[in-house]
Amino acid sequence: MIDKSVTQRRFLGIPGNMWTIGLLVVGAVLTTADFIMAFFYTPLVVGAQVAETRIINGIAVSNQLLFSQKIFYFHVPVAIGSFLVFFFTAYYGVRFLMTKEKKFDTRARIATEVTLLFVILTLITGDIWTRYEWGVWWVWEPRLTTYFIMTLLVIAYFVLRSSIEDEERRATYAAVFGIIAFLDAPISFAITRLIPSSVHPVVLRSGGGLTGPQLTAFLLGLFGMLMTAWVVYQVRLREELAKERIEALKAALEG
Amino acid sequence: MAKASSMRQFKAILKKDIVMELRTKEMLTSMGLYAVLVLVVYQIALSQAGASFDVLRIAAGLLWLALIFTSLLGLNRSLVHEKDQGCLDALLLAPVDRPVIFFAKAIGNLIFLLMVEIIILPLFYFFFLAGKTLGGPLWMLPLPLLVGSIGIAGVGTLLATMSVNTTGKDFILPVLFIPVMFPLLYASVAATSAVLIGDPGYLTVFWNSLALGAGYDAIMLLAAYGLYEFIIGA
Repeated sequence: MIDKSVTQRRFLGIPGNMWTIGLLVVGAVLTTADFIMAFFYTPLVVGAQVAETRIINGIAVSNQLLFSQKIFYFHVPVAIGSFLVFFFTAYYGVRFLMTKEKKFDTRARIATEVTLLFVILTLITGDIWTRYEWGVWWVWEPRLTTYFIMTLLVIAYFVLRSSIEDEERRATYAAVFGIIAFLDAPISFAITRLIPSSVHPVVLRSGGGLTGPQLTAFLLGLFGMLMTAWVVYQVRLREELAKERIEALKAALEG
Repeated sequence: MAKASSMRQFKAILKKDIVMELRTKEMLTSMGLYAVLVLVVYQIALSQAGASFDVLRIAAGLLWLALIFTSLLGLNRSLVHEKDQGCLDALLLAPVDRPVIFFAKAIGNLIFLLMVEIIILPLFYFFFLAGKTLGGPLWMLPLPLLVGSIGIAGVGTLLATMSVNTTGKDFILPVLFIPVMFPLLYASVAATSAVLIGDPGYLTVFWNSLALGAGYDAIMLLAAYGLYEFIIGA
């Protein structure tokens, strides 16, 4: 009845709680390192050519240097994170449909909560960049559109859950919708890119590819944020399991 | 159970929907009338646009908007009938394969949707596009409509079966339906626009969009087919 596997499970001989605390610390350190490196270590990205060469910091510069690109070290890891966490919504959805065990429904729901957090962060950081680079707060550009649709899908998941009273039906419907939504997100991702639109702003960047320091900062941020996502998930899961235990104890005392 | 009997089950459910519709004519009248009302609202929206505004540029979008709202109405009705009159429970009690129920309901919805399109399309043309020359050949126009309608009927049947069993009912369906339908609508509007406007290189856009829409249909219908059993059993 009560799912104790989370707190009692050991991995590599270390109990689950220690993993959570450990990864929280490592994740926080890596994410912070990513921020610090992004601003003080990685070189500025070379943008469009400017009219005349200028001397900045003793270096002759003939191209615009894009400070706004710094958001990349935050934005892209969260965006990747949102997709990875969303995968678990679908994964636990499938597990639930196969087993009908409540614990998988709880996990799917919490994974979707974390997805919502990450999708909103992606949307906000992406929008800041859009405002800076293109001068508008919103444009129906593929990247933004896709994330907006993904946000709506995740919100719809919770709207659906909240409108079903029967527990098993709620879990089943949520699992099915979670799977459909997870399939839908990459398709809208692809379609907004593959079908050309007349309003699509073309963003040109010279070069491409990441230099050493940039890649290091980016990877630190990616791993840091993925660890943080995992920790948020674990903490929420424990909270839910504790709630379930309290309910079970209450029922036992009253019964 | 033998293959032939699945086919007979399928025909029986489909026939039931069609006979019911022929007797009451409820779905087609409500969907058709609703679509006409949407066209009237378009006239209000476009009334101040001025002579320089070319409605052809947004015609595909307007057409799909009318179709999407009309289909939302139809999908809801089609499943509300089943639930309110206890028909869905009876179907579940009967020894009918679950996927057969899905296909029968989806094909039924597709037929009604296509019939409504046959009504709307000429009306839309006479109201908004009369006298304009279309960019592409006319025979291309039904293709995106068909690809779009298949997806709407398939995924819509799954989502409507969910939404009729919630407390939100009418409100839940659009909340689930529109974000899930986004890629298909995007592709369908792109393909329809390509035919109507006929900008240079429209054939590439048309066939690409159509292929992407068909791809969406294939993936989503497979998923809906596989998942319907869980929905209807819960």
